[in-house]
Amino acid sequence: MNSIAVTGLGLVTSHGDTPDAVFAAIMRGESAVQPVFPELPKPAAAATVAFDQSRWFTKLQLAGVDRVSQLAVAAADLAMKDAGAAGDIDPERIGVYAGCGMGGAAALEAAYRSGGRVPPLTIPAFMPNAPAAHVAMRQKALGPVLTYSVACASSAVAIAEAAKAVQSGEVDVAIAGGTEALIVPGVVLAWQAMQTLASFNPGEAASSVRPFSLDRTGFALGEGSAFVILESAERARRRNARVYAYLAGWGISCDATHLTKPDVPGQARALRAALRRADLKPRDVGYCNAHGTATRIGDVIERDALAEVWGNDLDHLSVSSTKALHGHLLGAAGALEAAITVLALQHRQLPPNANCTEIDPACRMNLVTRTGVAAPQLEVALSNSFAFGGTNAVLLFKRA
Amino acid sequence: MSSLKELQDLIHEKYGIDMSELDPSASMREKGLDSLALVEFLFAVEDHFHINLPDVDSNVDTLAELAVVVDRVRAAKAAA
Repeated sequence: MNSIAVTGLGLVTSHGDTPDAVFAAIMRGESAVQPVFPELPKPAAAATVAFDQSRWFTKLQLAGVDRVSQLAVAAADLAMKDAGAAGDIDPERIGVYAGCGMGGAAALEAAYRSGGRVPPLTIPAFMPNAPAAHVAMRQKALGPVLTYSVACASSAVAIAEAAKAVQSGEVDVAIAGGTEALIVPGVVLAWQAMQTLASFNPGEAASSVRPFSLDRTGFALGEGSAFVILESAERARRRNARVYAYLAGWGISCDATHLTKPDVPGQARALRAALRRADLKPRDVGYCNAHGTATRIGDVIERDALAEVWGNDLDHLSVSSTKALHGHLLGAAGALEAAITVLALQHRQLPPNANCTEIDPACRMNLVTRTGVAAPQLEVALSNSFAFGGTNAVLLFKRA
Repeated sequence: MSSLKELQDLIHEKYGIDMSELDPSASMREKGLDSLALVEFLFAVEDHFHINLPDVDSNVDTLAELAVVVDRVRAAKAAA
């Protein structure tokens, strides 16, 4: 079922803001994870974006616009321009589907630190649906403008929901993706308290995230935004659009077992649902961009879920988690990793699973341990996003 | 005492609006300061002059009108 075409990519990431440059940096295994906030009691690292607001906003336009919305406006605009899709669409037939885990963290932190003189636009800056609203205003999207807050699966869910809207004919063009910008001291402290962040020695922040490695200790936070443009393959063909890949299937499930502990059967249900919708078999899939948060429990569960569904074909599936390089973008992770998966298909190259010095025997599978690996036969790839709250989202792409 | 010049400087510094466009008798709303931006600007005005503005009359639409309000509040504060 090749009905949904990906015709535009817009990335605002710690590796840059052009898809080819971002993919090239990922392929070289360049880590964007760096130390942040040296004033905190415990060392912290994150992947942050060098973002030039003035490219997208006048100072006047920035009133009450949190960084999380700024990144989204920029990424969505890049995606629309990349698709060459604007101009000939009825605005009422454009939808925005945005994932966001937290909302405007910087606005909330500034309010708390204001000493009681709270900036008056804190609420509209902070509200989690602000990014989607700002994207809609910038792109003049008058159709459904929706926000999905499903923790680490937010933007994968958003892309799946957008695909459904395109498929059902509710919209002609969907601007779908996610954004997250919560690298502020208060939020970093909260994540440290959750004990899921990677620990590291001085000078070793860049290699601190080691998915599926025996010595893994967790992830680093990342910020950024990624959007894709989805439209029907027929519409893309009609307007002679460049198609990066087809979104062939998606699967969404919930563990319904535990708020934070992942679950093999739940993840396997999402994987099977995506394969079923795409009418594909496990053996057809050549690459998996894993959720791979490098936590002690999460990586083993994901490996076991893949093993359960792929069975004897697991060795045919190349797997990597690119979170080692761009950090965990939480609400934007699914969208960025979907874009990387699409680029992997387009370039027929496999992003590396960086920093894995010794594969954990409990995570044994066909990890992409080297950089620059070509995959000349690659036809189908998937991206996993598994959230706190138990929601699992799998996106399955087919080469154009 | 007129606060007008300082208000013009502040709006220029904060929003990058060109000095030549800062006509004191022009509508701030028409210059692009929508209701949200205006709320934020008034907050900055309070910070700058260390004053508390009363709920500004919604008829205040120009910098000149705002300067009159700010002058009044500063004068009252100085007299207190």
